[in-house]
This record gives sequence, structure tokens and C-alpha cells, in this order.
Amino acid sequence: MAPNQHVLLSPAELAYLHEALSLTPPIRPDGRAPTQFRPLVAETEILPGTNGSARICFADGTEAIVGVKAEVERTRGYHGDDEEEGGEEKREQEREGQDEWVELTVEIPGYREDDASTAFLAAMLSEALLADGGFAKKLWINRRFHWKLFLDIILISPPLSYPLPLLSLTTHLALLSTRLPRLKSEGDEDPFFDDDWAAAPYLYPQGTATTRPPITLLVMAVGRNIIFDPTKEELAVADVVLAVSVGEAATDASSTKGKGKAPGRSLRLLSVRTVDPPSRVTPPGVPNATNSAYGIAASAQKQPEARTVEAQAVEGVWRAPRGGAKPAVMAALVQKVLERGGVADEVLDALDAVELG
Amino acid sequence: MPLDTSAYSLALLRVDGRRWNELRRIHAQIRTQAAADGSSYLEMGHTKVMCVVTGPSEPGPRRGTAGAGAAGASKAVAEVAVSVVVAGFSSVDRKKRGRNDKRNLELQSTIANALAASLHTHLFPHSVIQVSLHVLSQDGSLLAALINAATLACVDAGIPMTDYVVACTAGSTSTYAAGDESADPLLDLNHQEEQELPGLTVATLGESDRVAVLVCESRVQVGRLEGMLAVGVDGCKQVREILDRVVRDKGKRMVLEGTVAKGEGLEDMDLD
Amino acid sequence: MADRRRVNGPVGATIPPVFEDEDVQVQATQRTTRSRAPNGIRKMYLKTGVTPSASGSAYLEIETSGKDGVSGLKLSCTVHGPRSLPRLSPFSPHIILSTHVKFAPFATKQRRGYLRDPSERDLGTHLEAALRGAIIADRWPKSGVDIIISIIEGDQGRETSGAQGDDTWDMMNALSGCITVASAALADAGIDCVDTVAGGVAALVRGSGENDTARIVIDPIPSEHERIEAACCIAYLPARDEITNLWFKGDMPDHDMGIYSELVQQGIQASKLANRVLVESLGETVK
Repeated sequence: MAPNQHVLLSPAELAYLHEALSLTPPIRPDGRAPTQFRPLVAETEILPGTNGSARICFADGTEAIVGVKAEVERTRGYHGDDEEEGGEEKREQEREGQDEWVELTVEIPGYREDDASTAFLAAMLSEALLADGGFAKKLWINRRFHWKLFLDIILISPPLSYPLPLLSLTTHLALLSTRLPRLKSEGDEDPFFDDDWAAAPYLYPQGTATTRPPITLLVMAVGRNIIFDPTKEELAVADVVLAVSVGEAATDASSTKGKGKAPGRSLRLLSVRTVDPPSRVTPPGVPNATNSAYGIAASAQKQPEARTVEAQAVEGVWRAPRGGAKPAVMAALVQKVLERGGVADEVLDALDAVELG
Repeated sequence: MPLDTSAYSLALLRVDGRRWNELRRIHAQIRTQAAADGSSYLEMGHTKVMCVVTGPSEPGPRRGTAGAGAAGASKAVAEVAVSVVVAGFSSVDRKKRGRNDKRNLELQSTIANALAASLHTHLFPHSVIQVSLHVLSQDGSLLAALINAATLACVDAGIPMTDYVVACTAGSTSTYAAGDESADPLLDLNHQEEQELPGLTVATLGESDRVAVLVCESRVQVGRLEGMLAVGVDGCKQVREILDRVVRDKGKRMVLEGTVAKGEGLEDMDLD
Repeated sequence: MADRRRVNGPVGATIPPVFEDEDVQVQATQRTTRSRAPNGIRKMYLKTGVTPSASGSAYLEIETSGKDGVSGLKLSCTVHGPRSLPRLSPFSPHIILSTHVKFAPFATKQRRGYLRDPSERDLGTHLEAALRGAIIADRWPKSGVDIIISIIEGDQGRETSGAQGDDTWDMMNALSGCITVASAALADAGIDCVDTVAGGVAALVRGSGENDTARIVIDPIPSEHERIEAACCIAYLPARDEITNLWFKGDMPDHDMGIYSELVQQGIQASKLANRVLVESLGETVK
């Protein structure tokens, strides 16, 4: 699927690309800096029929739309008619969410809904969303009812590059623009809501001191270089690819001021997943020494030990990487994402700038 | 909530305030997506659809259907493959429709047949034109909106075609049960009207009266059908005007921006 | 979507009866605590070549925590191939790996259907990533191999309530078992790998006490801990000191990066311990 889709690059091109990306600083095919993202166009609240929606278009033409819809559902497992008055405090404590209250579906053209990679994408996105347990709590109405949130993620364009960052950013914006009707009923009675949509509060309240939905970034390493937002071609030569989900920690004004920390947001690491790099299934090159077209190998073919040649890497000849990645490389990738004032910060700033509505 | 049709006879206004022969607002854009061969976005009232066309291109390796792959290779004309994805959030109540939903399949084959008949597929043997449609919001006339969006995207993709395939819906002011022979025909049904009143979807080839698609899924007296059809065909002509305007405006803008060179023989083209 | 082709169990959830017994009462209220050392994994039993018809197979059992009603993990894996690809499929310079992970319907407290659900597909993708790094794929062009794992018994306590939300932690344990057993089965099938790969899980847990500080344990049993803050599952190649798959989940502030790297280190440690069992078992088979 998406990460392993066939890239039409020859072994020679792959070797060249790999070499260019391993230089210090790396030279990317599109001339970007290693931490630079591709430009994107974003808009929110595009569909009045949904509780929240967003659309993002990457410069390479991939486009995604996310719509959020909420329905009131009866909470299962509550069978108490015990009318004990616990007061507001107790009620606050009871506020707890369940992960089943969020349903996330990913739709990618050309792939079956039950394709393993689509399931992988959906699992990754919902995992990040539910990681802190605070999200489902927002959907609590009262002890008998809760909101059920449906997130439909649709990739409009054919999957030109691995769509994970695009889908994650679009979901982020859609959730930011999501509003739920204002509750008018009190306590555990059947809920009824304010008709006035203008009065509907946002799921993630607007303001500064609030948490925001998480974002998932795709980051890869080639040699010693760490590269963000890789394109399909770059992924084809990656040594390791990680999907890292980060959230923003609730900014506690007093603590940040007191310690005088470095500027930037404080982030939380929510999940990390290795994405199977497509480089492992790229076609290998054949060195001249063993290429029968160059004559020399006519004799080499007769040798029974010809197989041993495969073990040695020849300069400038592409070989699909074997094995995994050093733990230190993985740690460096995660560290780089979480860096204060780093890429995640920059992306969150950029998303902040998107006007809601 | 049943549709109140009684008010119509008083003021001759429909539930959304239109007259019998008025279209809803149609807003369309083409070339919405940089990477696609052809793309479009179309709104008919609150029905919103997006279309992306890929191709004509070499058919990729087909997974699973081994027999079909072999058959496709021997074709002398391009195959038009249509996929319709109805977003879960498109209707008022969220409802997830599977990809193999029967209604979806019918929509797909109807659109594929209509396009295949008007595109010059014989110019592209052994290839596939992949049309993928996404429904973002539904408020009646879904098939018509899909056909119009697909046409626009095909125009954007530069696939030669005989003429625009344009579609719209037509209905009748009273239900079948009322048996009212003198009922007025209606143009461009919205969701509420579609639920209650008899209606049909008609697509024509451009301004001609040649019908490319005619779908009538409701019960209606034969006597009323002709009137409905005439109104529908008339509506298609209006739709064609609008779509043509969209294409011309976009072309003009592209020439002005210098994205494309002015074609030969167009020196006297009006560019304001 | 009803599955009409098979005779299915009852539609609604069935809960095993819990009798009002004094012992049970005690058990329900008292959470068993971990008796192993924080850096020790449970005992496991691994045997290869259990399915004669497959080209490679392995069976893995991880002991229960020594308490009634808590099941261990029982996995069986079969490897079919390498075999030639179907005639019409395109050329591939590498072996094509396909992984299927399926819970038996009775493996977990919540009954699983016969069709694979998204979480099982997700496990399959993780497993594929973990194994792809270990296999020397270019030795078998134009061929494919199927790796099929059935989880006969999941690692779930009977008396823990379903609404605890610790499903993912169970999934991580299951994945680490899957990786180990699949690696053994691959070796049994004689498919060249750079090294044996084994899975290991480490978790940051917090006890029930008010002043309990978070600590890191390996091979956690979710029912033994009050709260799991974060966990990671790692597939590790000891000879090359490389990670082929990393799955971390939790909630970790950025100033706690030390804890994160410690967690990964412990995950590697767990994987090394599992690998020792794996190598020993393979050695026995050779003898």
C-alpha cells in the first residue's frame, strides 16, 4: 500500500538520490531544507452539514477532506436509578470517557476499506487522539448519555505520497473547528440542546491555555541526516521511517515562567510507530563486475561462489537496505521532533494561523 | 416531516422559495487540484461533489481479477472506470455506505456508460480513464451533480468529447397517489422534494435534445412524464450554459495569467 | 454485517457468571501485584516444527502469572513458502511477505468474529515491518511467503473489567509474542534472515498507592498494575544492534525524554531475553 507503492526509479537513480540525501547538509530533490515542509493550502468549516470540517491541499496536489459528525448516544453500562445527590464535585469526578465513543474511518481511493495499510493509518491517527484519555472525556454529556463522534477522513486525490501527515493535519484542523451544540438540560435527564448554532461551544475551546488535538509527523533518516515531510521518492531510499505523534501540553503559565524555560511550546510525546520503509522492496542494482552484459561475468557465472558477491556493497550501486535501525538513530529522530522551537512547534504555529470559519 | 405541497398552489412557490422552472444556485470550479489530470468541484444548492480524473493512462496491474485484466488489454477503446465515494458526513444523519453498496454501484455504472458514450474513447486504445467522485454533501439531485462534475473534470483533463454531458432533475408538483393530471412539472428537485414527489434525472448531450441518461425511480402517471422530461431537458440546456461559462472563464484566466499560451486562431478572443 | 455462512455464538455479550463467594470477593477487590523482578520476563515455551504440513511452524506459550483466572499467551504460527507468485502478478525483485494475525474467537474476553477486525490488521502491519527488516529479501525474487499467526489465547485476566481501556497494552504483549514466534517459524522454514528477531515490551507503570512513583517494568501484565502510563513494543536484532519495529504509546511530556529512552532500552532488554529463549529452542531443534 501507500508506503510501498511502486516508485518508478531505476537502481541508479535510487543510488544517486540516496547519496544526495546522505550529504551534509542533504540535498533534496526539490531543494527544501531538511526540516522544511511543503507549502499547503488549508481551510476549515467548509461543510455546513457537519460539526466540523477541514480541507488541506499540499503543493504536490494531494488533497484531503475531514468531516466530523456527532450523535447523541446512550451510555451503556449505566443501570443506576440511584438518585444520590453527590453535588457538582462528584459529578466532575464521574466524567470519564470511553475510547469507543470515537469512530475514525479512513478512505483512500483505490484501496479497499479493510486494507491492512488503511487500518494502520486509522489506528495510528486514533491512537494519537485517544492517547491521553482526555479527548473522550470531552464527549461526556451526563451519566446516561454521551456524544459519539464520527471522524471521516477522505483522501480526495490519488495517494501520491504517503498520506499520513496530510491526514493528520487535516484531522487536527477539523477537530479544532468542531463545535457541539450547547447543552441546556441539567443533570442526568434526557439531554436537549440550544438551537442557536452561534452559541455552540468548540470542542477544543478557543484560547491560549488549552490543549489542542495531536499531530502526527512523518520523519525519516538517511545515513546521519534527519529529513521531515519526505516525498514518495525520498521515502524510497529511507533507512528508517517513523511516524511520531505529538500533542501540546496544557500550558501552565506559572510553571513555564518560573523555570524560565527555552521559548516554544512544551510538547508531549503520544505515540511512535515505525513505518515499513519502501526502500526495502526497491530493485537492487547490478555492479559491472557481475553484469553479464559487460562480458567479464561470463566466467563469473560459472563460479559456484558467485552468490557471495551479493554480500559486498559496491560504491554507487543501489542495494535495498537490510536489517533495522540503530536505537540511537531512532532516539535522535524522536528527539528532533520534540525539540523546543523545532519542527512540531513550527507546524503547530502554522496551523494556529489558519482562521477558523 | 412530510412535505407540505398545499402551499404551492397558492403562491406557486416551492419549499425553498423557487418557482417551478428555477434551478438552484450552481457553483462550479475546475482545476481544483494541481496533481490530477483533471479535477472539478460542483455545488448544486447544498449538494456538493468533487471529481478527480486520472488518465487516459495505461491500466495498472489488477489485483485479484486476473481474467478482467487480460480482457482489458485487448480492448480497442479506453475503459471508463468510475468510483463514487459517499462521505459518511454527507447526509444529515451520519450513515456509512459501503463501497459495494448496490445504489453506489448503480450510480457508478450509469455515469460510466454516459461518459463512455460521449468521450472519444476510440482515440485511446488499451487505456483507462479513472473517474473518482466524492460526495461531500447531499441535498437531492445527486446523480445529476455527479454527472456534471464528471463532465467538467473530463474537460479539464482534455479528453476529447462530442459535447458536454449535462444533467438535471425534474419532478411534478403532486404525488402519484394524488392522481392530479394537471400537476405542474418542477425543475431541479432538492432532497425534501425528492423524497415526496415523483422525479426523474435526465442527462443530455449539450444543447441538443439527445438524451444520454434517463433515470426514473418513482411511480408517475404516463401523462405527466412528457412534461417532466421537457422541463428536464430544458434545465439541462441551462446547466450547459453555466458549465460552459465556468470552463471559458477558467480558460480566459489561464491565458491572462500566462499559464497557457493563447491557442492559434484565437487572436481575436475576447479577454475581458 | 451478519456473518450468515457460519454458526455463530449468541449475538449479545455473555459474561461468565461470578458467584458471590468470599474468596472471589477478595480477589475482585485486591489486585494482584507483580512478584517478578522489574527486569524479568515471564517464562516461555517455544517449539518449532509443530505443523508438519507447513514449511515452517512454531508454537509459543507464555506462562500465566501464577494466578487463577489469568490466562497466558498461546500463539501458533505457520509459514507457507517461499513459493512462486501467481502467474499474472507483476515481477518483484524481492520476496513478498504477507502476514495474517488472527485472534481465535475465544481468545479474549470480548468474543472476536471470524473476519479480521482493524486491530488485527494493524497487528499484521506491525509484524510485517518487524520481519521485513530481518529477512534477506533479495535472495528470493519472484516469490512470496505467507506468515499466519493464530492467537489461541490472549493475555487477559478474567476478572478485570472490560472498560478499563487497557486493550492497547494487551495488543503490545500480543505483538511481541507474534514477532518472536514468527521469527522462530521463519527459521524453521529455512528462510534466510540477518538475525533472529524477538519482541519485547517495556512499560511505565504506577502503583495504586498515592505516593507510588512511576517505574519501568518489562513484560508487564496490565491486570497487575493500577495504571500503565506508557509502553513500547520493540523488535530487535541483537547481533546487529538494530531495531526493526518500534511501537510506543503513552503520554510523555517533552522534558521526560530520559524516561522515553530508558523505556526503549528496557524494551530492548526484554527483547534480548526473549531472543535467548528463541535461540536455545532453535538450537534444540537442530540437535
